[in-house]
Amino acid sequence: MNRIHLITVFIFSLSFTLNADILIKNGNIYSGDSAPFIGDIYIKDGKIHSIGSLNIKATKEIDAQGKIVTPGFIAPMTSIGIVEINSLDVTRDDESDYLNMGFSIFRAYNPNSTLIPWNRANGITSAISIPQQTSMPLAGMGSYFILDGNMNISGSKDMMMLGRIGASSGSRSEDLDLLENLINLGKLAKNRPYEKVIESPIAVFFELLIQDIEALDKVANEGLPLVIKANRASDIKHLIDIKNKYKLNMILAGVEDAPIVIDELAASEIPVIINPMDNIPDSFDELSSSLELSALLSNAGITVLFDTSRSHNYHLIRQGAGNAVAYGMDYLDAIAGLSTNVANVFGLKDRGSITKGHYADIAIWESDPLEPASIPSYIFINGIESDLTTRSSRLKDRYIKKLDKK
Amino acid sequence: MRYRNLILTIALSFSFITIGAPFDSTYAPQNSPIIFLKNANIYDGEGNELLGYDLLVKNGQIQAIGKNLVINETGKVLSYDLTNQWVTPGIIDIHSHMGVYSAPGVKTSSDGNESTSPVTADVWAEHSVWTQDPQFSLALQGGVTTFHVLPGSANLIGGRGTTFKNIQSNTIQGMKFPKAPHSLKMACGENPKRVYGSRKRAPSTRMGNAAGYRKAWIDAAEYKDELNSYVSKSASAKEIVNPPTRDLEMDTLAGVLNGEILVHNHCYRAEEMVVMIDIANEFGYKITAFHHAVEAYKIADLLADNNICGALWADWWGFKHEAYDMVQENIAIVDQARGGKGCAIVHSDDAIGIQHLNQEAAKALAAGNRAGFDISKARAMKWITLNPAQAAGIEDVTGSLVKGKDADIVIWNMDPFSVYAKAQKVFIDGNLIFDRDNLSTKPVSDFDLGIIQPNLSRTE
Repeated sequence: MNRIHLITVFIFSLSFTLNADILIKNGNIYSGDSAPFIGDIYIKDGKIHSIGSLNIKATKEIDAQGKIVTPGFIAPMTSIGIVEINSLDVTRDDESDYLNMGFSIFRAYNPNSTLIPWNRANGITSAISIPQQTSMPLAGMGSYFILDGNMNISGSKDMMMLGRIGASSGSRSEDLDLLENLINLGKLAKNRPYEKVIESPIAVFFELLIQDIEALDKVANEGLPLVIKANRASDIKHLIDIKNKYKLNMILAGVEDAPIVIDELAASEIPVIINPMDNIPDSFDELSSSLELSALLSNAGITVLFDTSRSHNYHLIRQGAGNAVAYGMDYLDAIAGLSTNVANVFGLKDRGSITKGHYADIAIWESDPLEPASIPSYIFINGIESDLTTRSSRLKDRYIKKLDKK
Repeated sequence: MRYRNLILTIALSFSFITIGAPFDSTYAPQNSPIIFLKNANIYDGEGNELLGYDLLVKNGQIQAIGKNLVINETGKVLSYDLTNQWVTPGIIDIHSHMGVYSAPGVKTSSDGNESTSPVTADVWAEHSVWTQDPQFSLALQGGVTTFHVLPGSANLIGGRGTTFKNIQSNTIQGMKFPKAPHSLKMACGENPKRVYGSRKRAPSTRMGNAAGYRKAWIDAAEYKDELNSYVSKSASAKEIVNPPTRDLEMDTLAGVLNGEILVHNHCYRAEEMVVMIDIANEFGYKITAFHHAVEAYKIADLLADNNICGALWADWWGFKHEAYDMVQENIAIVDQARGGKGCAIVHSDDAIGIQHLNQEAAKALAAGNRAGFDISKARAMKWITLNPAQAAGIEDVTGSLVKGKDADIVIWNMDPFSVYAKAQKVFIDGNLIFDRDNLSTKPVSDFDLGIIQPNLSRTE
């Protein structure tokens, strides 16, 4: 895939020095980007040092015989760390009051959110958290977070922009027009000071600020991933045109009507993020929705990533991927959609596959990770074994003891 | 005078007698063929796993189940060799809003909450049902043969719920499960107090909620007494006394107090559920099930002692404060309370979830056994078959594969506790309603027809 190189500032502040080296032996390795094989993984200094049939002694050795080993999965569309309880405004930081495209959720991220251990214990080792959709076609910026719960946050700040086109109280035609105008504003910002650009009529009309122009500049000129939620076939088609016209690094989310424009979508090389279980025609934009969507897209050569309609349980993208396989998607494509493809699409450096030199974000599974009943036996993030305790497991332990078991 | 008595008779039949009531079911199964399912692996819904068993269906009912059944049927027999395939009862969802929150989810189809007053016991969810909701067919393809449609949870007392067979019909009555009792939807906690509190009217607090239920039951008890005292009068006495004025709201609540309408109570928090149990005791009614009940595990023994089912999700949480204390072991803990006397149900409350109740049960089962329980798959199958049938008051006719029950049956291509399993064939009353091997059987709603391409249906 011909991707524009992504320029984002990675802000890693990792301290590996005190970590033991680890050898995972005889795992059934699904690396995310290759056929499965039986092998060992040696983890040193937080990274995957070597893979294969290894004759190495390590401080800690784990027998993974008969177990599936995968990269830690990456959820591409979440509210992890920025929304604790949906119905409580005071626990959510995903809505802006005055910023638009430049709205960043990054500093709202709470490493102590209960969603982090919960999703981690269910196989998600990193995630992109996104702002809420607004009535504007472009909403704000998402950030990437390593779910280690460390107060020194690691990940990638403002590494994508979110947008939407589709059914609304206004007209989608006007929204598409506005989207193009905003991209043009970003183009303008390439050779002009932001202070000048905000004097443009459209910037004045929407009261855009410097941060908004800066964000548009990145999308229009620097290939920042632009995720647009859209479902209706005609919208998908217009967005493909816009992607080509402005050479955007566009990703489409939803795309329930994609079967109607599958050839155009495949030719556009636009990756998609879909909820494989959503076969409900929730709106008049989604009339083609079906359980076969993942297989159809994937078999057409389109890169497929996964989303879930459930808040909090972002690990349910595994169940979605399992259903995608049940309805015809290739198993390895599904694993890649939970890992390698997310890293590739969003330019997440050295993550998303079990590859020599990559950060050791690894899950060892009790059984098939695409079976929702399966959970990880071990999770490693940056080569550190995660504690799989969660608030939920604490509650369970407290009450299960009290049960009358007679 | 005679006219007035007639009105009262109608009122009484409306409220207390199911047969002949208005809006009664008109569903009558077609004549079903004789069906012979051979050499299947069966979860029978009663808690048994029967490997390599045969099952015979005749006259729309289960006729026999056993090893190496010998059949002496003279008529035509549809015979299926089900080696390595699995058979279960039709899946039942005790908490659905299909038809009242139809797809597409547009405001003109938002018919599930009569959120204009905190007590609307007079409304019936079935009167909102859109028979052309495309979600029915999708649920059928997930093995769902029966579902219970409830009003939403905006109100303290939201109205009556109704059980349906997943049968395509262009009348509501044509889908209704024959002779199934109505339910009454009640709701605790955040939803009613948010809806009415935001309008500066009661209830705006949980204590306001409790007062609201109790006031309604005081009125209902009075109404019931008035009716009973009128009915018990002699014919001549009735000539000189006016019958009580008929009241739709009170008809429903009196139906609960008489034990003919089953209470389904949306309630998340442990202490609120116990308050609701006390209110039920105060007014002499029974709670059939607590729905959503994210904290049921905290009072699982109490639920078992009171014979109350927990209709639960496998893992939903966090969308509101009262849903914060989720444990994935909730369903297993409710099931295993008092040495396995609990009644656990996996419900959906969701048009996607209803299609995968088998997967939701699989998650809950795995979590329970990981926590140290020893629950069989055969028992977990009850969570989506017999237990919801019991909560809907239809366990005598469906929910498990025993002789004499409706032949509501699903054939799965593999063990249904796997994510890869699909409902391959679905029978309702012995009729093959969906066959994955013959997709032309897939029910197509009027809505689906020609909506994308004039010559195709939506799902083609």
